[in-house]
Amino acid sequence: MDFLLARWPEILSATLEHLGLVFVSVGAAVALAVPAGLAATRFPRLARPVLGFAGTVQTVPSLALFGLLIPLPLVGGIGSRIAVVALILYALLPILRSTVTGVQQVDPAILDAADGMGMTGWQRLKWVEAPLALPSIFSGVRIATVVGVGLVTIAAAVGAGGLGSLIFRGLTMLDTRLILAGAVPSAALALAADGGLALLESRLSGARRAEGSP
Amino acid sequence: MSGARISFREVSKSYGERQVLDRISLEVEPSEFLVFLGPSGCGKTTLLRLVNGLAEADSGAVEVDGREVGDWDPVELRRGIGYAIQGVGLLPHLSVSANVGLVPRLLGWRLERRRRRAAEMLRLVGLDPAEFGARRPAALSGGQRQRVGVARALAADPPVLLMDEPFGAVDPIRRRSLQEEFRALARDLRKTVLFVTHDVAEAFRLADRIAVVADGGIRQAGPPDEIRAAPADDFVRRLVADAPPPAAA
Repeated sequence: MDFLLARWPEILSATLEHLGLVFVSVGAAVALAVPAGLAATRFPRLARPVLGFAGTVQTVPSLALFGLLIPLPLVGGIGSRIAVVALILYALLPILRSTVTGVQQVDPAILDAADGMGMTGWQRLKWVEAPLALPSIFSGVRIATVVGVGLVTIAAAVGAGGLGSLIFRGLTMLDTRLILAGAVPSAALALAADGGLALLESRLSGARRAEGSP
Repeated sequence: MSGARISFREVSKSYGERQVLDRISLEVEPSEFLVFLGPSGCGKTTLLRLVNGLAEADSGAVEVDGREVGDWDPVELRRGIGYAIQGVGLLPHLSVSANVGLVPRLLGWRLERRRRRAAEMLRLVGLDPAEFGARRPAALSGGQRQRVGVARALAADPPVLLMDEPFGAVDPIRRRSLQEEFRALARDLRKTVLFVTHDVAEAFRLADRIAVVADGGIRQAGPPDEIRAAPADDFVRRLVADAPPPAAA
């Protein structure tokens, strides 16, 4: 208990740092993957290479990905920057895939009606496909966020900071308390992020159904 | 706006191996109410989709208002054509009112005018705008959704209406009164209507002229009385056996 009290500021700042890394990377991944996913549904020729690239990145083990990124110019080196880059790369696939699936799942009768009433391709995307794909996109963001919390923990190995640095320090010092001070909050963070986003997701799609009920 | 002329000239269309339309020719007069009657899968729906350019003929030509469909800007063409489909296709994330006001919105009408128009159209199909306007489509019955689909097709006052089994899910009593109201409305506003159904009674009740469609061809086209009096072949004769007596039409 004394230990926790003494380390409290450190744990808190590591948690905030951790969260910050996840938010920045997932945010950037959303900004990249949602437009790319929507474009892929417009130009089916794009879909395969885009999803293929994201899928390949996804299969590279995370530590190996860090190792591959470190020697690269601009993104490389040690520190939080390569953690962010790696995290963005990992987050791309779930968000891309959920965006594409979300658009593909839109009821063909709705698309038919949209075309039939004279919507341009852009109007159809903006008014029909994007809003109807939103719940699916959101579930991709949720997966990306949870994966991100875990990945940032490992990124401490390349000096990214966050809760992982407490764990790694605890490991080298054989200090179980220090390990737990990093491990427990990062596990809690992942669970909280998953639960919170799940709640938001069900609100989002639930609102749609409930709003009109008599 | 009153109707436009629609011409089918030797139109053929196949999906893969299956030929759905085989050299169909038909002239639809401006302000005519024409019903395509035939069994499901006979190509009726395709005939409608050729008119608003959602399907393209393999050979032959479809003209709307003297211009081939392919020469129209598809967006402009479709905004002048009301389209109600069997699957309805309401946007689930928009209110009933917003759905009805969609084409007016595409045409740039102001919100106030769209609202008034949507309320007017909902009343027309027998739905109280105060009760139903703010609901989501999911909170309506299948028949109510179809009526919203019809209201949507009418909202921008298009000269041409394409109706693909628009009352299929409406209960029989409501259906009957909707048919009558819709027929009167189309006449009053002098719309060109292409209406698809497999319901013989409905066809005879609504049509100025019926085109009986089967196996990709038009078996017979003429006013209901003529088809009743002189069916062209056995297929038409069997159909007509289901038709209501003239008094009910």
